[in-house]
Amino acid sequence: MANTVPFKLVTPTQIVFEGEAQLVIAVTTEGEEGILAHHAPFLAALRPGVLRADVVRPDAGGAASRLELATSEGFMQALPDRVTVLVDEAVRFEDVVVADVRRERNEATERQKAAGTDRAGFEREQTIIEFAAAKLRLTGQK
Amino acid sequence: MATVRDLRDRIRSLKNTQQITKAMKQVAAAKIRRAEAAQKRARPYAGALAEMLADLISAVSSVDHPFMKPGRAGAPAGIVLITADKGLAGAFNANAISAAETFARQRSGVRYYTVGVKARNAVRRMGMPDHRTWMLGGTEKIETAREVARVVTGDFDSGTISEIVLVSQQLVTMMLQRPQTRKLVPILAEDIAALRGKDTSKPPTEQKGAIEFAPSPEFVLSRLLPKYLEFTIYSAMLETDAAFFAAQLVAMTNATDNASKLIDELTISMNNARQAAITKELLEIVAGAQALGVA
Repeated sequence: MANTVPFKLVTPTQIVFEGEAQLVIAVTTEGEEGILAHHAPFLAALRPGVLRADVVRPDAGGAASRLELATSEGFMQALPDRVTVLVDEAVRFEDVVVADVRRERNEATERQKAAGTDRAGFEREQTIIEFAAAKLRLTGQK
Repeated sequence: MATVRDLRDRIRSLKNTQQITKAMKQVAAAKIRRAEAAQKRARPYAGALAEMLADLISAVSSVDHPFMKPGRAGAPAGIVLITADKGLAGAFNANAISAAETFARQRSGVRYYTVGVKARNAVRRMGMPDHRTWMLGGTEKIETAREVARVVTGDFDSGTISEIVLVSQQLVTMMLQRPQTRKLVPILAEDIAALRGKDTSKPPTEQKGAIEFAPSPEFVLSRLLPKYLEFTIYSAMLETDAAFFAAQLVAMTNATDNASKLIDELTISMNNARQAAITKELLEIVAGAQALGVA
């Protein structure tokens, strides 16, 4: 168990995942960042994207399995003894409704065009578009 | 003196009222549990957010985020007032509203943002019919909180308001709710420390050596502060919800008890009245018999 680290993924409304992980890969504003156990203290801002983690399933006798989630904006804190990811929203593969996500993305694109010089509005829509793209990538759709 | 029939009608109507208050009491008790569960689910996020903020604050030498500096001088204060959508919970909503008014008296000008129908109505009565307002219930609370945060920070950034204050009910115990006035922006380091104290049993991270930030502590802080604000509003909304049902439970328990007491009193009066009528009738019969010389 020395090569695993306690990993927690939380949103404001729930704990999405809590358990041991061998590897956590998240999309930071600087690009993808993979975290292993005993990582040096690290705090990063996350962009919407697909978060991947190799997690240990206690019910499967300690075998590792891949956890993949589409996550919205957030933060990742890595410490030698734990990894915490805070995101606005995290969606599992089975909860993605492709048609809805596409509609979301198209609506956000329209609003972004209408935003004009409103920079905050532009960025807000961009986040929604990127989150939608991440959800679609999770399902292998476009 | 009221007739037996009048009293019987009053008792019947009281019993109906009592049934309603009893039902509302049970509903409130069930809803408290749900509201508390929602609060509990939000706690891990609060703890993690506070920990990251504390790390950041200690890492950033000079904080020059707009949220940590005083707003434009002379602009009115922004008050985010949160109440429930419904009443029948004693002075619950009124207390929050009067706390907001108390704060408003300390400022030369205020601008209201309200969450909850009762807050909206009260502020409209104060003569501000077109302030920004949201419902407490209905849509996802986190979505509402995000929008409230977006609107108030937009107004703060543009200098429309000089500070952001949150007034909401706090659930002290099940029997006690107290309105709370919190200054959200400018954010003070003590506030963050207080938030941190609420949850984390973990040791402070500073002991674990220098932290690396990506891309920079300033950038992460500028992203984290709006989230902190959003989340504070969200958790105040959750607390208002839980406190509202607690207040309603108390109010409805009292109402049910009062109805019982009143029913008992009226029942005694009714029995008295009935007995008096019977006695009077007997006396009349006896008197009539005597007059006829039967006895």
